[in-house]
Amino acid sequence: MWHPRFLALLLGCPLVLAAARTHETNPMRSAEDFEEGKRLYRINCGVCHGMEGRTGRGARLARRSYVRGNTDAELFDLIESGIPGTDMPGLWLEEDAIWKILLFVRTFAETANEACEAGPGDASAGRMVFETKGSCLACHTVGQSGGRLGPDMTYAGATYSADQLRKALLDPASDIANRYRTVRLVTAGGERVEGARLNENAYHIFVMDRSEEIRSFRKAELKSLEQPSESLMPAYGELLSEADLDNLVAYLCTLSGTAKEDTQ
Amino acid sequence: MRGCFAQWTICAALACACLTAGEVTVQDLLEDEDVAADWLNYHGGYSGHRHSLLDQIDRSNVGSLRLAWAFQERISEKFEVTPLVHDGIMYITVPPGDVYALDAETGARLWRYSRRMPPKLIACCGLVNRGLAILGGRLFMATLDAYAIALDRKTGRLLWETKLIDFSLGYSGTHAPLVVKDLVMVGTAGGEYGIRGFIDAFDVETGERRWRFYTIPGPGEFGHDTWAGDSWKTGGASVWITPSYDPALNLVYWGVGNPGPDWNGDVRLGDNLFSDSVVALDADTGKRKWHFQFTPHDVHDWDATQVMVLLDKEYRGRTRKLLVTANRNGFIYLLDRETGEFLRATQFVKQTWAVGISEEGRPIRRPGMEPSAEGVEVYPTVAGGTNWMSPAYSPDTGLLYVSCREGSSTYYKGETEYTPGTRYWGSMFVNEPTMHNWYGAVRAFDPVTAELKWEHRLFRPAWAGLASTAGKLVFAGTSDGFFKALDSDSGDELWRINLGAGVQASPIAFEVGGRQMIAVAAGGGLFVFSLP
Repeated sequence: MWHPRFLALLLGCPLVLAAARTHETNPMRSAEDFEEGKRLYRINCGVCHGMEGRTGRGARLARRSYVRGNTDAELFDLIESGIPGTDMPGLWLEEDAIWKILLFVRTFAETANEACEAGPGDASAGRMVFETKGSCLACHTVGQSGGRLGPDMTYAGATYSADQLRKALLDPASDIANRYRTVRLVTAGGERVEGARLNENAYHIFVMDRSEEIRSFRKAELKSLEQPSESLMPAYGELLSEADLDNLVAYLCTLSGTAKEDTQ
Repeated sequence: MRGCFAQWTICAALACACLTAGEVTVQDLLEDEDVAADWLNYHGGYSGHRHSLLDQIDRSNVGSLRLAWAFQERISEKFEVTPLVHDGIMYITVPPGDVYALDAETGARLWRYSRRMPPKLIACCGLVNRGLAILGGRLFMATLDAYAIALDRKTGRLLWETKLIDFSLGYSGTHAPLVVKDLVMVGTAGGEYGIRGFIDAFDVETGERRWRFYTIPGPGEFGHDTWAGDSWKTGGASVWITPSYDPALNLVYWGVGNPGPDWNGDVRLGDNLFSDSVVALDADTGKRKWHFQFTPHDVHDWDATQVMVLLDKEYRGRTRKLLVTANRNGFIYLLDRETGEFLRATQFVKQTWAVGISEEGRPIRRPGMEPSAEGVEVYPTVAGGTNWMSPAYSPDTGLLYVSCREGSSTYYKGETEYTPGTRYWGSMFVNEPTMHNWYGAVRAFDPVTAELKWEHRLFRPAWAGLASTAGKLVFAGTSDGFFKALDSDSGDELWRINLGAGVQASPIAFEVGGRQMIAVAAGGGLFVFSLP
């Protein structure tokens, strides 16, 4: 009977009363607790976050730090209450059960081998590449500055591994979120428009064009409408040297949303 | 304050005037499909047609359809209700446990019943309720805390409540009950929680239980040996859609849900009767007359809780009492509803799990399509080629209209242990990104041959049901928020409106004050349309 889009509705029911937290740090430690946490995670969380915290439509858990909190208490509260305005629901489990889930989730960071290791690059040189030669700010935001055509990079280092960042630079079409998919269309008047697909229904498509204007088009009135699989972002393997790429990855790895310059 | 008082006085007067109108009789329920003005049963009649004889709104004027009134509540759940309408009063359920009486002409609220629910309700797929049943001065509801209840239709006062079972074990009531003669029937949802499904029938007057049918046979009963070991105790086989009923045969046709754990069948080897089946029960006794299983030993979660549509049509030279249903597994089935004899199965969406269906009606499985630890992509999706949303059958066109879901899911298999009241799934699934291979369609079929007559393509698979009318229209909702009217002969779109949220309910048609109305729920609102 089950369908994934409804899980959030089910678990997010406002009538549900979750357990109150009585500890600041995780009191669960035993192997039995871990196994129980693993079981509970797979039942309650795995659908969205993946069995190992790496896949699915939920946030990637296999990383070294989290955007919304890193202490045991913060993470407990996230699991218990969910994140309003997102598909992350609160869990209506007993306190011990939530601590056990967290015990298991904590191991993702240790086992993931996914930390954003800067590698051989130089972060400050990478920042120069990001802001000048690479023209990355034209489309990506860091902190308060930059464009909005591409994903926000403010938390790049806390979100992606170095390998993922490198892959995105070399082959940006390999994994594009729905919000950033490429649209190319020609209007009845012959105007050619290229941009990112914001939304779509049976009759209309909504696009952020190259100048970041949000535009709406009636599909039936378009001369052509394409949604190619390529990315709006160029493949930087052909545009940057290997050293530039290393530096760029090193810089992106430093972006955790916590540095003063990132948020001002 | 004065204005408020005046408003309530008018409302109260209106309520008194309307609520003293004639009460629904057993005969009314039998004739529901022939009486155009009211909508007295979830399907608009016992046969499951969801077809209205009203023709005031037709192909020539539907383009000017406009909103007559709207009802809004703070609903964070899916609003899946099918309203009932009788003598100018509309009765709806609002999740998780409210019932409203509304003036069907204006939407004015006449009374509200609000059920006090326990804090930790358990439901796999949303705290939903799909509607009510009506007889005499009573309304009947199955509740999420696993009760059958009766309300006074004039006041909303609770008349009786009977516990089905302890809800904390994973049981719930979500479908609109069925009233047959002096019985009200309710099945239990909860197929994802290791329940043992059943169907209860209660005396409409007292709430006393008259019979129970377990959808998983117990020791010594027919079909018990289709469950390995003790798996029958936790095998699911829930019931969550209102059945159809043939008064002449006195048989009720129940669609039964998936076996559990859903995606790992290793602990429940065997066919797992009566999961994924239709069971024909004697309405008076609850005794099984026949059954037909669509998906033996299901490992894809393809409940058979789609609506059973009852038709009398010529088949191979003689008129037969037929049952047609578009099943979640991707095939439309045609059965003899007197005997359960399998007559035909025809693929109606892309499917990759079966090579075909044998002459006996058993699927011939394609190897390698079972869920695995690595994941296996299979068409249709885990939600099936269609789902609980109603099909419609128009006697005028002779066509069966089905909301079809095209696409695939990646099915995963994992270990699972039964813990009472928690999910018992046998792993989980990850759907393919919805960009490339998911779409929906309203399709019209010849119900006997399953020949496709037309298709109206939808941007995404829909969770909304269909209703047809004598105005030669089919009303359909979509997941991208549109409610639309289609030409029932061609599928051409004649009218549409954006309701601001995906439609996840099935529409109805009724008449009040001499005007035909069309109603459908979407988002947190119920929208009612009429001609200017």
